[in-house]
Amino acid sequence: MFSLALKNILFYKGRSITTFVLTFLSTILFVVYVSMMDGSHKSMLENTLKIYTGAIEIYHKDYRDIGGNEYLIQDVKTITDKLLHVEGIEAFTARYETYGLLSSAENSAASMVAGIEPDKEKAISSISLALKEGAFLSDDSGSCLYMGEGLVQKLKLKLGGEVAFVGGASDNSFAADIFKVCGIFKTGSFEFDLSTSFVSRSYFDKLMLSQNKASYITVKVDNLEHVDTINKKIVQTLDSEKLESLTWKTLMKTMVEAMEVDSIFGYISLSLFLIVIFFVIMIYGFINVSSRIKEFGVLRCIGLCNSNIFSLLFYEIFILSTLAILLATPIAGTICYYYSLNPIVIEGIAEMYKDYGIVSDEIPFDFDIFTITWNLAVIYGLNFLSILYPYVYINSFRPIEATKHV
Amino acid sequence: MFRLILKMAWKNSFARPSRTLLLVVMIAVSMSMMLGIQGLYDGMAMNMADKNKRSDSGDISIFAKDYRINRDISYRIKNADEIRGELNNTPEVEAVVLRVSADGLASTARKSSFAQIRGIDLQEEENFGAFSEFLKQGKMEFGKRGAIVGIELAKTLKLKVGSKVVFSTQDSNGEINSMALKVDAIVQTTNIVLDTSAIYIDLEKLRTFLGLMSHEATQIVIKTENIKLYERLKSRYSSLDVKSFFELQPMMKMMEEMMVIFNSITFFIVMSVVFVGIFGVMYVSVLDRIREFGIMLSIGMQYKYIRLQIFLEAIVVGLLGFLSGAVLGLFLLIYLKDYGLDFSAFADALEMWGYETIIHGTIKLSYFTTTFLAIMSASVLSVLIPLRKIKKLNPIEVIKADK
Repeated sequence: MFSLALKNILFYKGRSITTFVLTFLSTILFVVYVSMMDGSHKSMLENTLKIYTGAIEIYHKDYRDIGGNEYLIQDVKTITDKLLHVEGIEAFTARYETYGLLSSAENSAASMVAGIEPDKEKAISSISLALKEGAFLSDDSGSCLYMGEGLVQKLKLKLGGEVAFVGGASDNSFAADIFKVCGIFKTGSFEFDLSTSFVSRSYFDKLMLSQNKASYITVKVDNLEHVDTINKKIVQTLDSEKLESLTWKTLMKTMVEAMEVDSIFGYISLSLFLIVIFFVIMIYGFINVSSRIKEFGVLRCIGLCNSNIFSLLFYEIFILSTLAILLATPIAGTICYYYSLNPIVIEGIAEMYKDYGIVSDEIPFDFDIFTITWNLAVIYGLNFLSILYPYVYINSFRPIEATKHV
Repeated sequence: MFRLILKMAWKNSFARPSRTLLLVVMIAVSMSMMLGIQGLYDGMAMNMADKNKRSDSGDISIFAKDYRINRDISYRIKNADEIRGELNNTPEVEAVVLRVSADGLASTARKSSFAQIRGIDLQEEENFGAFSEFLKQGKMEFGKRGAIVGIELAKTLKLKVGSKVVFSTQDSNGEINSMALKVDAIVQTTNIVLDTSAIYIDLEKLRTFLGLMSHEATQIVIKTENIKLYERLKSRYSSLDVKSFFELQPMMKMMEEMMVIFNSITFFIVMSVVFVGIFGVMYVSVLDRIREFGIMLSIGMQYKYIRLQIFLEAIVVGLLGFLSGAVLGLFLLIYLKDYGLDFSAFADALEMWGYETIIHGTIKLSYFTTTFLAIMSASVLSVLIPLRKIKKLNPIEVIKADK
């Protein structure tokens, strides 16, 4: 059957070339499109994770839902001592976040002021790398503020400028102080740069009465793919009903969902192309089969059964699909791999979509063997489906009737 | 003669009914899917643009120079009321509203967030952009200390109708002031900036709070259908910052342009593949009947009539495909327009990105006209190569040839 299928492919060149070309094009389109879509989504998530959100964050229960000082983590030292023994954790740090009003001589603005441990923060986030002017914080930075570029502009400040802070301390009393801008950062995240400033915890804890307290503890893992396993270990190690340990999948649930919606729309668009191509392959297969009814009649008269006929059609489409996919896969794979290393740059896209959390003009592709494999499986599946109707059509003729067909 | 050829073309179109049916189904399915996708994407973009206009930028907005850069109420329009009077007397202007905005900090007993307080006149906003249609919870009114809050800000601060919130900001004298507000309603404008940060209160109350005069505003918003008005207003109010919708919302412009590019590429690819499909069927259909054409030529039928017959066959198949696709596509578009696609399972994500949870499509006549032209062109073009084959025929040889 296989050699007969091969002969048929060579004999019916028109159908073979069309099926081959369409399969080849749809494979490239599908693999490259999905790679671009996944790549841009991954990049958005990674950028957000890199900037500030941790892979895992440990909270006092209800801090995220209800909030307030009574839901601060009260015994940071005990928890961090336990974390030291959890395998898979690369680094961790405790942050104390509060919202307050910052006022310069000319303007006021609301800001999230976060007390951080500068040395540990360097190992966890890219805030220190986002330095634009001045210097990043150190443990003895005192009343130095490390402020987002947007916020600096809003407050009409410059490096070294003074700014008054008014907010609520961890015991619900008022806290106020004068800070000095020692460093300016730009992460590229519009919202973050416009609303965030950092102070060294060693100083901030005295002002906010937050020694050994934290809004949450953020954890960096050595392998992001093992985040769920590591989180399980953390939960077991902490063994506390008062605490909750959440991975980035929960922390950024909205963003993950947004990516899913975007993917749904992407697949809807893609399905249009694939369905049209599927139809054309089926039509060519059908035309081919309908011109060979006599031939199939003879084959069945000499003893071939229905399953042999199906095998013949299956081998024909299998050979054509395999050839097209074998040629298309390295090309599509190379495109994906190249653009995963050298992302496409669309100037101004980050500025245009800044409200949507886009922080980079780069659109990297995703090179993932598993994704490429299931993309190919879909193409194979569609091609195999395309022989069903022609097969049913042939079977509608009885052998003798088929041999007489004109 | 034409009627005879038309009759022959019609009959030949159904000589192989399975083949024709398959082709018609292919055209119908691909066309209806394409129409559905175009309608859905256009609907999304149009819905977003419409709501952005109604809730924020209007067709044209006027600000004081540098206000948009500094976002500071010291850059306000001092004679806003007078300008509104002038605009109301301009025939092309359909509606005008004044707004005052200030950035600050919104706090509850437990949470704080950045917020933008916006002073609006509810009645005027209703006339301008049917503001009450954005209502999600509560009543669209300002009670004593009443405020209306954007849906994402309400989520961040865990606010419900009846919750209390304190807003702090700098007034026109540079002093930090705070006001306690009670949430009367929660709105979803699908304008991402407003939904994540806006607290709406009565315009006069905000003016008093910020120390502004009753004739001052930070934004004058204009509703108009006349695109030429923008240039006139720009020169009339040269001391102010006059901006069109697309200048204020460049993302919308980019989105619209991208939608056109995407739809065009989709259209081109789908029609090319459809062309390949029609070509295959027509080519085989002609080859199947090559002896028949040979006989027709040898008994004296002119080539032009055979050509006409084949063109008509292609047109009949294309037209049937188009009509089926148009009917199927129209049903799909009507469904998408009336019921939309329900993405409630992803409500948080869609709201975060400024979309509604049910996405509605739109219907444009141009979808059908352009598709009609494309399918007809594809049908006609698909028979050019088979026709060349017939033209080169030697009738006697063809008749003699064993099929």
